[in-house]
Amino acid sequence: MAPIRDKFTIHSRAVVCQDVELKGDITVGAGTIVHPKATIFAIAGAIVIGSGCIIEEGAIIVNRRKEVMRIGDDNLFEIGSRVECPTVGDFNTVSTRARVHHTVRIGSYCSIGAGCLVVPTEDEFLDDYTVIYGPAAERRTWSGRGKLQEADLRRKHAEYLREMLPKFNRLRRGEGS
Amino acid sequence: MDPPVYYSKAEYIETDTGNKVSRRATIAGPQNIILGGKTIISSGAIIRGDLRRTGAGHAVVISLGRYCLVGEGCVMRPPYKTYRGNFNYYPMKIGDHVHIGANSVVEAATIGNHVEIGRNCVIGKFTIIKDCARVADGAIVPPNTVIPALSLFAGSPAHFVEELPESTQESVEAMTKRYYTRFQPLDR
Repeated sequence: MAPIRDKFTIHSRAVVCQDVELKGDITVGAGTIVHPKATIFAIAGAIVIGSGCIIEEGAIIVNRRKEVMRIGDDNLFEIGSRVECPTVGDFNTVSTRARVHHTVRIGSYCSIGAGCLVVPTEDEFLDDYTVIYGPAAERRTWSGRGKLQEADLRRKHAEYLREMLPKFNRLRRGEGS
Repeated sequence: MDPPVYYSKAEYIETDTGNKVSRRATIAGPQNIILGGKTIISSGAIIRGDLRRTGAGHAVVISLGRYCLVGEGCVMRPPYKTYRGNFNYYPMKIGDHVHIGANSVVEAATIGNHVEIGRNCVIGKFTIIKDCARVADGAIVPPNTVIPALSLFAGSPAHFVEELPESTQESVEAMTKRYYTRFQPLDR
């Protein structure tokens, strides 16, 4: 395999901490926050992250496929989660220590509970509003109640972090870092 | 007697009050973190003191008591919520003689004294853990849980398993003190 070419495109309004491991072709959209100790690995294809996402410490985002991995807007990847999905929609939550395999494509408004493993052997698409929970990774569909509140919380959280993180952490800028 | 647990002297910083903090731990916003003394922070731990409450002045984000242990690869970060339409992080308070096992994620609001948390646990946001409680290895405690005193919680989601004996306080205290004395530097 050809060596990985690093190419980071970080939007001027994105907050990416210095202590983040980036590899490969990565694009980070406006207002996205990457906490220290997160890892984004574009092994084969590129990774494109939309706007307003929050990637917490210890989260790992890997693209093993040739195609571009697209992550939508306003997603939350909590501490120690691992995501390898080729596509992720908008407003999803991947909770602490959850793991999603490369066979899964995530729609929008999905939420994956703490410690859940989503590792189907065949390709699968998670419909919008799917909730995965519990030790056996059971599934339900969210009615969408409280969606506005959730969106509001996410927006305020990102806003807060955009303001606070630069005060205490050194940031990474696009190109040449 | 148990054998000592050695660490390399170059890796840890020892403070006047006997705190031992690994250089390989990630500590953000150290000015907002209080360590009570004789507390050990192992390598690979992440402590987020930067996620502070907005507002003027000095804010304590994470306070740890005496004889605490933060295991390897632990993540400790304060919980957040919106209150009356304002988003904020809220401080996290941890008592004395608290051991947190390796690779656990703690987002609790309060943890009492003499608490033992196992390895690979996930402690959800705003969890309150009372004195002398224990959380078993691999437990996933959902957000806003209250773990009563002298109880053992285990599983996913974590639930009450059994009551602990009243001697827990003494035994945990002795255990944490013993661990601190066993934790010795090794010159190489």
